[in-house]
Amino acid sequence: MLALAWAGPAHAISIAPEEAHSPNADAINTSYWVMIVVVIAVIVVVNAALIAAVLRFRERRGREPSRFAAGRGALRPVVGSLSVLALVIFVYGVIMTEDVREIEPSGPNGLGAAQTAQVGIKGLPASAAIEGSESATGEEPVTGAEPTETSPLQIDAIAQQWLWRFEYPGGQPGQRTFSYGELVVPVDTTVILDLTSTDVLHSWWVPALGGQVQAASGDVTRTWFKADEEGRYAGRSTAFSGTGYPVMRSWVRVVSVPEYLDYVEQLTADLREAQGIVQRRQAEEATPEAATESEGAE
Amino acid sequence: MTPPTASQVRPEVVTRGVHAPAKPWVERATSADHKAVGLLYIATSLSFLSLAAVEFALLRLQLIVPENSLIQPEIFNRLLSTAPVTLVVLAAIPLALGLIGYIVPLQIGARSVAFPRLNQLSYWLYLVGGVTIYASFLYTAPETGTISLPPLSDAVFAPTNGTDSWIAGTALATLGFVCFAINLVVTLNRLRAPGVAWRRMPLFAWAATVIGWLLVVIGPVMIAALTMLEIDRHFDGVFFDPGEGGAPLLYEHLAYIYFTGAYLIVFLAAAGAISEILPTFARKPVFSHRAVAASFVAIGILGPLAWMQNMYEAPLNEGWTIMAMAFALALVVPVGVLLYVWIATIWGGTLDLRAATWYALGAISIMACGLAGELSYSVVPVGWLLDDTTASQGSTLYVLVGGAVIGGFAALHYWFPKVCGRLLGEGLGKAALALMFIGINLYVLMMFMAGLEGQPVDVFQYFEGTGVDGYNLVASLAAFLLVGGILLELGNAAYSWNNGLRARGHDPWRGATLEWFALSPPPPHNFDAVPDVRSTEPMHDIRESIRRRTEAFVAPAALERPPSPAPRPAEPVPATAETSASETTDPDAADGGGSSVA
Repeated sequence: MLALAWAGPAHAISIAPEEAHSPNADAINTSYWVMIVVVIAVIVVVNAALIAAVLRFRERRGREPSRFAAGRGALRPVVGSLSVLALVIFVYGVIMTEDVREIEPSGPNGLGAAQTAQVGIKGLPASAAIEGSESATGEEPVTGAEPTETSPLQIDAIAQQWLWRFEYPGGQPGQRTFSYGELVVPVDTTVILDLTSTDVLHSWWVPALGGQVQAASGDVTRTWFKADEEGRYAGRSTAFSGTGYPVMRSWVRVVSVPEYLDYVEQLTADLREAQGIVQRRQAEEATPEAATESEGAE
Repeated sequence: MTPPTASQVRPEVVTRGVHAPAKPWVERATSADHKAVGLLYIATSLSFLSLAAVEFALLRLQLIVPENSLIQPEIFNRLLSTAPVTLVVLAAIPLALGLIGYIVPLQIGARSVAFPRLNQLSYWLYLVGGVTIYASFLYTAPETGTISLPPLSDAVFAPTNGTDSWIAGTALATLGFVCFAINLVVTLNRLRAPGVAWRRMPLFAWAATVIGWLLVVIGPVMIAALTMLEIDRHFDGVFFDPGEGGAPLLYEHLAYIYFTGAYLIVFLAAAGAISEILPTFARKPVFSHRAVAASFVAIGILGPLAWMQNMYEAPLNEGWTIMAMAFALALVVPVGVLLYVWIATIWGGTLDLRAATWYALGAISIMACGLAGELSYSVVPVGWLLDDTTASQGSTLYVLVGGAVIGGFAALHYWFPKVCGRLLGEGLGKAALALMFIGINLYVLMMFMAGLEGQPVDVFQYFEGTGVDGYNLVASLAAFLLVGGILLELGNAAYSWNNGLRARGHDPWRGATLEWFALSPPPPHNFDAVPDVRSTEPMHDIRESIRRRTEAFVAPAALERPPSPAPRPAEPVPATAETSASETTDPDAADGGGSSVA
C-alpha cells in the first residue's frame, strides 16, 4: 500500500512516453525526447523574457519611455537564427521519419530468421505499398505453403466498429486463420501490418510498438513493428468512430516462436472445429426445414 | 428648397423628413452601420462562447472519474460534436470578425464600409447557421465528432438529421464569414483615409487584411466540402464513398484546410490586438511595424499550407507529410519574430499594467506554449506519437483559448471604452484572468501527460488501470476553473456595459491609432473630419504637435484659460472643426484627456 501511495505522485509528474519495445517506437520516442527538450527550452525562454521585460519596465513614477524602434536590418539576426532552428529541426525530422519507416529485418531469435536477410523490405509509403503488395511482398506469405518459412510476418488487420480482426498468414484467401481483439506475434520478428477498415475510419496505435496509423475503408495502410520482448501491449484507436469508440482497443501479445506456432496451430484447429460445428448445425437446421417444406408441398 | 442649378455646385443633402428612431434594439438589429453589425457579432459570439464553455464543463464532468456513467455516450457525443464547432466557428472567428468589423474602419479613417448590406447579411447568415446547429437539439443533435469525418458522417452511419443541421449550420456561418471577408478586403483596399498607406496601416488592420484574404480562400473550401458531404448523404453522391471510388480522405483534407485556417485566424486576430495593446500601454511604438506586418502575411500564407500537419497518420504519400512538416516548421520564423518584437516593444518602455495589458501578456504566454507544442507535433514521428491524443488537443486548445478567449478579452478590455464609453471592470477582469490562466495551464499540463499515457481524444470514458485517472481528475477541476473564469469575465463585461466606470475622455489609453480620434461611442459617420495621417501613429503625432504648440505659447497672465471645459454631452458632437491637417486639430478631441467625466 505504501508503495502504491508513493508510486502515485511519482507517476503523476512523468512526461515519458510508454516504453518502446520495437525499433520504430524507439525512434519515435527518441524524436519525442529531442523535441520535448526544444519545446521546454522555447517555453522557458519566451516566458522568462516576458517576465523579465514586465518586471523591469513596468510603469514607475518618473520614468520616461525610450521611444526607439528597430532600424533597418535590426531583426536580421533573429530571422537568421530562427531559420537555422527551423531548418535543423526539419532535417532532423526527415531523418527520423525515414528511420521510423524503414523496416528492419527480423532478429536471430525471430521467426524464419534464416530467410530474413534476403527480404529486407524498405519502408514503403501507403500508396506504393498497396501497389506493391500483390507482387513484391503481399503474396509470398499468404500463399506460401509453410508460413513459418517466410519472413517478415505479414498480418492483415481489419478494423470495424468496434473491434479488430487479425488475419494470420497461411491458408486460402477467405479461409485464413484469424483472431479478434488480440494479436499474437512471435518475438524478435518483423511484423508487417496491412490495415484496412470495413466501415468508418479507425486508427491503429500500440504506443510500445510504434505510432498511429489510420485504417480507412477502401485503402490499405502499412505499418510494421519488431517486438524485442515478450509481453502484452495495449493499444487503442484514436479516430472517433461513434458510440463504441472508447472500447475500440487492441492488444498485442508477443510470445516466443514455438509458442506462436503452437498458438496458430491451435487457433486453426479450433476454427476448423468451430466451422465444422456450425456447418453440421446448419445442415441439421436445413434438413428439418427441407422436410417441413416438402411436407407442406404435399 | 430651390432645386440645384448649374450655378449651385455645392452638394446638398435633400431629405423628405427625419428618420424617427425605432426602439434601440430594433435600431441595432436593422442598422447597416458597421459598428452596429460589429456589436451584434461580438454579442452573439460571446453568447456562443459561454455555451461552448458550459458544454466543455459538461464534457469534463463526464471524464472526471474513470468509467463514469453520468452522461450517456450518445449525449456525450452530441456535446462533443457541437462544442468544438461552437468554440471555433460560432465563437472564436465571429468574435475576431466583430472586433475587426467595429474597429478596423475606424482605424483606417473610413466613414463606413464598402458594402454595408453585405456586412449585415454576413451577420445574419452566421446567426442562422448557429441557430441551425442548436435547433437540432430539439430533435436529434449531431453526433459525428469534431469535424464530421465521413464515412462516419455518411447517411449509413449517421442516419439522423442532426448531422445535416451540423453541415448546414457550419456552411451557413462560413458563407457569412466569406461575405464579411469580401467586404473587409474591399474596405481595406478602397476606403483608407488619405495618408493611411499600407506601410502606415495599424497592425490590427494588417491582421484584418490577412484574415480577410484567408477567409476568402479557405471559406469556399469548407462550403464545397460540406456541400459534397450533403450530396453524399441525401442525393446519392459518391464523393467520399470508398465503395464507389470516392475518397473519404478528400473531406479530411478540405476540412483541415479550413480548420487550420480558422486556427490561424484566431492567432492572427489576437496577435493584431496584442500589437496594438502593448505599444499603447508601454508608451512606445511597436519595435518593428514592418516586421509584424510581414510576419502576419507570412503566417497567412504558410499556415494553411501546413494543413496536412494534422494528418500524419492518414494514408498519405511520404512526400506530402514531409511537405507539411516543412511548412509547419517554416512558421517558426514569423511566429518567433512576432514574439521577439512584442518583448522588444515592452523593453525600454513604461508598461502600464491595466487589465488589457495583463490579458495581452497572458495571451502571449499561453499562445507561445501552444505554438511550441505545435512545433514538436510538426515533426512527423512525434506527430505519430501524439496526434489525436489529449496531448496535442491540449496544445491546440492552448492557442484557441489563449488567442480567442484571453486574446479576445484583451481586445475587449482595450476597446470597450471606445464602444460604450465605459471601462470594462478592471479588478474583476484581472481575477477572471487569474482563474483562466491557472485553469488552462493546469488543464493542458494534465492532458499532456494523459496523452503520453495514451488517452485518445473524444472518448466518453476511459478505463481504470490505464494510468490516466489522476490526470483527468485534476484536468476536470482545472477545466472548471477555466470555465468559471470565462463566465466571470463575460458577466463582468455584461455588467460593465451599463454600470462600468466612465472612461476618461474619448481616448482613455492615449492610443496611437485613429479609432481613438473618434468619439466614444463613435457617431454613425465615425469622423467629422479625418486628420492627415503621416505615420503609423497619427494620434501620437497630434498629441506631439499640441504639446509643442502649448509649450511655444506663452499665455499672458490675465488671459489664462479656465481650468477645464464643461463635460462633453453624451450625444455625438463634431470632434473637430478644421479638416486641413493635424496641427489645426482641437486639443480636447485629440488627446481626449481634457473632458473627464468621472
